Amino acid sequence: MSRTLKFILTINLVVLAVLSFVYPSLMVGPGKLIAGHQKINADCFACHVALSGVQSEKCISCHKPADIGRVTTTGAPVVKPLTSTPFHQELTSQDCVACHSDHAGVKRYQMQGRFNHDLLKKGISEKCQSCHKSPTDTLHQQISGNCGQCHTQSRWTPATFDHDRHFVLDRDHNARCVTCHVRNDYKQYTCYGCHEHTPANVRREHVEEGIRDFNNCVECHRSADEHDIRGRGTDRGKREDD
Amino acid sequence: MKYSLWREQVLPFTLMLGLLAAATIAGDFVLHRFNLVWVGRYMGIPGTLLIIGSLYYSLRKRKYVTSGDPKALLSLHEFSAWLGSLMVLIHAGIHFNAILPWLATVAMGVNVISGMVGKMLLHRSRLHVQSEREHFQLRGLSRPEVEQAVFWDAVALKAMVQWRKVHIPIFVVFAVLALGHIVSIFLFWGWV
Repeated sequence: MSRTLKFILTINLVVLAVLSFVYPSLMVGPGKLIAGHQKINADCFACHVALSGVQSEKCISCHKPADIGRVTTTGAPVVKPLTSTPFHQELTSQDCVACHSDHAGVKRYQMQGRFNHDLLKKGISEKCQSCHKSPTDTLHQQISGNCGQCHTQSRWTPATFDHDRHFVLDRDHNARCVTCHVRNDYKQYTCYGCHEHTPANVRREHVEEGIRDFNNCVECHRSADEHDIRGRGTDRGKREDD
Repeated sequence: MKYSLWREQVLPFTLMLGLLAAATIAGDFVLHRFNLVWVGRYMGIPGTLLIIGSLYYSLRKRKYVTSGDPKALLSLHEFSAWLGSLMVLIHAGIHFNAILPWLATVAMGVNVISGMVGKMLLHRSRLHVQSEREHFQLRGLSRPEVEQAVFWDAVALKAMVQWRKVHIPIFVVFAVLALGHIVSIFLFWGWV
């Protein structure tokens, strides 16, 4: 390598090194910071600790856990909170980067903003209604508490409600809820919501068998299996001659 | 059919370079398709280690070390530098964030190309142009006529010689920029 080339190379690298210190956010920062952090854009160590990454203590020095979701860092009330209920006060530990990241480039890899119920203090996570509103359909309006019986804390659907206990939803009944439970009324159902079953053909088939009381289908039929008919304590339901 | 330096040498070289680009795009696609983008984040580490490992050949070539068959080491140098570069390119992905690591990526790309030029083209191209000159001279062509006949091949060879010269300086640039990127990661990222 010639001396001139070495000199040019050194000058260029020195310029890049200087630029890295003068404009660290452009030269080494993995993307833009969120809008609220633009003032500290050039001050990496406002959040980072050398060789240790971002430390929660640095976050908490501005974002007091007791105030999160209630008042801003400037003391003004939060006008449009991101969650309906403040919950940071109930977290087991203040590990901010477990859920939050700041640089646009880092956000791609992180579970940004994804809340995990395991981070809540014991007991709080069981009190769903302290944060969540109960759904307005008639099924859920009848229930208070004990949500974990049907729903997990990672996602609302699919619920673990055991529909098979009442009626098996096999491939013949792979239908939407509203087909049988109209108007979100899960207390009621109808078997006439599809083309297969009509009041006329159901009546005809039951009358042929001498069955008159066939309004409550699932009392006898718990699946699409025609041979699995349980009846009211008998084999064949309520016959006219019973 | 007349032997063409472009068709016989430059085109295969371009295809090999295209393979690197295609493998990068395919790797990036697979990681995104299977929601494994985080893997790409760590691929810079084995990629860098492979490139560092490939430098053993350079030390052997300059007699800083004496053990190892140079021919086998050259093959290893080419393979590990190519694979390491592929990993680093997938690691870089198409996410344009900081300038420094992107300059390092560009420098690495130039370095890979210059290395491949040296490997694939230069030696054989020199022999080819020389044999062409001799061939035309034997046919009784005058010197200007010979130079006219091999003009485009000679131009290609000259360009390649110049290109080859950037291999070491650009490697220094790449090494320094990559080091800057690595230091900044250690400085700002929480490893534990």
